[in-house]
Amino acid sequence: MTFVDRIERPEDFRHWLGDMEAEYVYTSGIAGDPFLKELKKGKILGTKCDNCGKVYVPSRMYCEECFVEITRWVEVPNDGIVDTYTVVHVDRDENLLEKPEVWAFIRMEGTDGGFVHKLNVLPEDVNIGMPVKAVFKSKKDREGRITDILYFEKP
Amino acid sequence: MKKFAGERLSSEEMKEVTHEEWAPAVKYAWSCGEAMSRFLNELKKGKLIGRKCHKCKRVIFPPKMFCEFCFRPTDEWVYLPDTGTVMTYSLSYLDKDARRIEEPILVGVIAIDGASEHMGIMHYFSEMDPDDLDFGLKVKAVWKPEKEREGSVTDIKYFKPLEGEK
Repeated sequence: MTFVDRIERPEDFRHWLGDMEAEYVYTSGIAGDPFLKELKKGKILGTKCDNCGKVYVPSRMYCEECFVEITRWVEVPNDGIVDTYTVVHVDRDENLLEKPEVWAFIRMEGTDGGFVHKLNVLPEDVNIGMPVKAVFKSKKDREGRITDILYFEKP
Repeated sequence: MKKFAGERLSSEEMKEVTHEEWAPAVKYAWSCGEAMSRFLNELKKGKLIGRKCHKCKRVIFPPKMFCEFCFRPTDEWVYLPDTGTVMTYSLSYLDKDARRIEEPILVGVIAIDGASEHMGIMHYFSEMDPDDLDFGLKVKAVWKPEKEREGSVTDIKYFKPLEGEK
């Protein structure tokens, strides 16, 4: 006799529905907060280590090379170069996109940092090392998020 | 901004700092399986049911479709009375949300009559003085009215001392 033999009325089977409440609040922190607030003003902010001169974008509180606290804020130009990229064909829910998007890690000019963002270029036109420039949302639409930068495009 | 990292922000300060709020949708469905489904459906009818293993002769309660002693499927459904014996108990001065309370909640494990040793269910006790709660006390289930039952272990409201007991 197997267990499966006995199952004659599946409607008798019970199940328990649950919902785990795992809400959280993530603050952007002492270094992250001014970075996002300045994005709202259309500026990209970094921090510069007084000891080694390394410029962190996005801003960091501590220099990972020197282990010292960084207090010097610097505004960085809003252009950079494509360090690496990928062509994306599906959205975050794995639905096929109408048009493929290009996402890249952009190294910001004159700094040692950068971030991942969308490129407004055709997949066949992108190449590593190409210069790009940040395009911000219109002032009233900005909300202090990384998405205040709409995308990067060729200057 | 706070002077030290790791300090808790007040709700006023929270308005001034950039932050993300998120509530992940962590829904789940837990299937009760054959034995537990029957157990819950019988609770709705106001009955307790166990499973008997013909090899070791044990009556397993709450029921299981598999005997973990004999490594074989159990054989038979058996109805059990809604009376039992207090095996262990606790007086809780904290409620379910860990808030302090004045009147203790009485909880414990009840060995149901007719089930084999070392088996029982955890439940509440009521209609008794906390001082009278003791190991070996005979108790009886107090059920919700039939129309309020939903096939949950809370269809039993609590256990009270059996008639004739203190």
